[in-house]
Amino acid sequence: MNNGRVLEATDLKKSFGDIHAVRGVSFHIGVGETYGLLGPNGAGKTTSISMVSGLLQRDGGEVLLDGQSMTTTTLAPKQEIGLVPQDLAIYPDLTARENLRFFGHLYSMPKAELSKRIDEVLEVVGLSDRANDRSSEYSGGMKRRLNIGIGLLHRPKLLVLDEPTVGVDPQSRNAILESVEHLSSEGMAVLYTTHYMEEAERLCDRVGIIDQGEIKAEGTRRELIELIGQQDLIRITATGVNDATLADLRGLAGVASVSPTEDSLDMLVNDAGAALPEAMRVLTAHGSGVSSVTVEEPDLEAVFLHLTGKALRD
Amino acid sequence: MRHAWTIAKNDLALRARDRSIFIIGLVAPLALAFIFNLVFGGGISDVGETITFEMGIANLDGGPIGEAFAGVLDSIAADGRLRIMEFDTAEEARQAADEGGTGAVFILPAGLSSSVLGGANATIEVVGNVDAPTTTQVASSIAEQFALGVRTADLSVGTAMATGALQPQDAIAAAGEAGTAPPAIEIGAIQAATRQIDSATYFVAGLSIFFLFFIAGMAVTSMLEERREGTLMRLLAAPINRKSITIGKSMASVLIGLGSMTVLVITSTLIMGAEWGSPAGVALLVVGAVLAVVALMTFAGAFAKTAEQAGNLQSIVAVTMGMLGGTFFPITQEGLLGKLSLMTPNAWFMRGLGELAGGGISAALPAFFVLIGIAVVSGSIGLFITGRMVKP
Repeated sequence: MNNGRVLEATDLKKSFGDIHAVRGVSFHIGVGETYGLLGPNGAGKTTSISMVSGLLQRDGGEVLLDGQSMTTTTLAPKQEIGLVPQDLAIYPDLTARENLRFFGHLYSMPKAELSKRIDEVLEVVGLSDRANDRSSEYSGGMKRRLNIGIGLLHRPKLLVLDEPTVGVDPQSRNAILESVEHLSSEGMAVLYTTHYMEEAERLCDRVGIIDQGEIKAEGTRRELIELIGQQDLIRITATGVNDATLADLRGLAGVASVSPTEDSLDMLVNDAGAALPEAMRVLTAHGSGVSSVTVEEPDLEAVFLHLTGKALRD
Repeated sequence: MRHAWTIAKNDLALRARDRSIFIIGLVAPLALAFIFNLVFGGGISDVGETITFEMGIANLDGGPIGEAFAGVLDSIAADGRLRIMEFDTAEEARQAADEGGTGAVFILPAGLSSSVLGGANATIEVVGNVDAPTTTQVASSIAEQFALGVRTADLSVGTAMATGALQPQDAIAAAGEAGTAPPAIEIGAIQAATRQIDSATYFVAGLSIFFLFFIAGMAVTSMLEERREGTLMRLLAAPINRKSITIGKSMASVLIGLGSMTVLVITSTLIMGAEWGSPAGVALLVVGAVLAVVALMTFAGAFAKTAEQAGNLQSIVAVTMGMLGGTFFPITQEGLLGKLSLMTPNAWFMRGLGELAGGGISAALPAFFVLIGIAVVSGSIGLFITGRMVKP
């Protein structure tokens, strides 16, 4: 282990001819942390994780997996990674159980442990009742879940998911996201690439915003938003608001402004999560009746736009 | 090696699932064996039996040449190789040939003898049935051989008369006898460069190794298919040596190839009476051939970027090797063609079987070692080159 870091990628570089696909990408992931690489198609996400997973020879930089240097030929660090490729990587003529068993053998899992683990994984990805059907007969979402199941079969320390929800229906997508949340809560480190802002916001403890082969910014969602200086908007519909109430609200920490409108108050705050309970306390103390509250926070889409000058889906 | 075996087993399972292992390894060889059986008309055991041709003759000559020719036909018929029908007129004979009443007819025109003995040109007409080309060819050969015999006799009699050894009144009878006499010198069978297997076994063996090329090609095409399907990326991400992937794929091809060849050898022996020779020797040659062909096809396929390209390249290699190696027909051992032939596993497999037919297992060893040599050389280069294919 390296300072509690499961993965440490430093200054990764990769070119294909004249195209510099990855230009000095660095990031790290700790135990139980979910790290997102958020960027549009062609930003360098897949190339970066290919180098992290030992699939692709890097031109420069270093990848340490649980303290061990990862290359295309080193085998020990590969044991610690579970890769879920963007495209389905399953054998359609085999059942889910057979697919899992084959890959389990490649990871040298003992027979008895493998059988037990296969049942566990089938349960996690919700395929227990279809385990003995050929995967060619599965829906797209079920195939995606099997794709993930293969990646986590051998209990890797780091699960690498490359845009696992592309082309998936909303129900299956939600099931996949729940699975990732579950794995993260159990202490598995996750590297998650996506160009869906909502997924990055929902799943990731930290996000690296990547574009044109470079990480433009990195941090928690809050840190990234603060980076661009935008504030949250709390809109409260309330009765019995007077000047004293407004003065107390304006005096709260982190509140930039309070603007009363015809039937509501608009509060610009640094952190809605911190300011809202305080605002409710003030309103209650002044006997104001609150009928509705809405919070509008700047999202990572806005951050990406600010940093790159283009939208995520451009 | 353990991972290579895991990959080989998975490949075999996949081939079993999509049924290609049965089609390529079982159904196709059996279908081939069946076709061979049909081609050889009821089996190899029949080859040694006498084939009887049906021919007819309209002898309008009535002279000694006509009688001599009829005598030749009678002598062949006496051996059971010919059934002769006689016709009174040329029209009847032609009609019989046209309608298939007989395979071919000889029409000896009136005055044939006097024309020949008078030194003039004469013609024996051969009319064949369109559906009996072989019988017609045999009939033409008989007529040509007889004409050659008559010319030889004419020369001999002429010489005898010139020297006074033969009186003119005896010349006609002497010419007739000379034309039908057996040749004074019999030419013995020339020993071939290698011993020979019988023709039917030759074709079964030749086509089976030709077919083997297509089985062997699966090693590379399977890998390219895995790349297309995305599963190769998973294999590459696993903690296994990358060579295990190519070796595993090749192992699967070798096993399917061995199974297929075994089925073909046993089937052709049981239902067609093929004589392959010593089982141990045949096993040795089959192993050598399978290894050599799989290695060659791995080498050939290594230059392809897609499974389709690999299939095309491998087809070209299979046909070229088949042609050069004498798969479809025996080729000369002389000159450039002979040298090129020795670069193919096909030729060495056939040569090994030939040697095996005339000797024990040790006779097959040189061919076996050459096959193994081809396997080692092309396999090493092929595995080296296919290393570049083992990427996501």
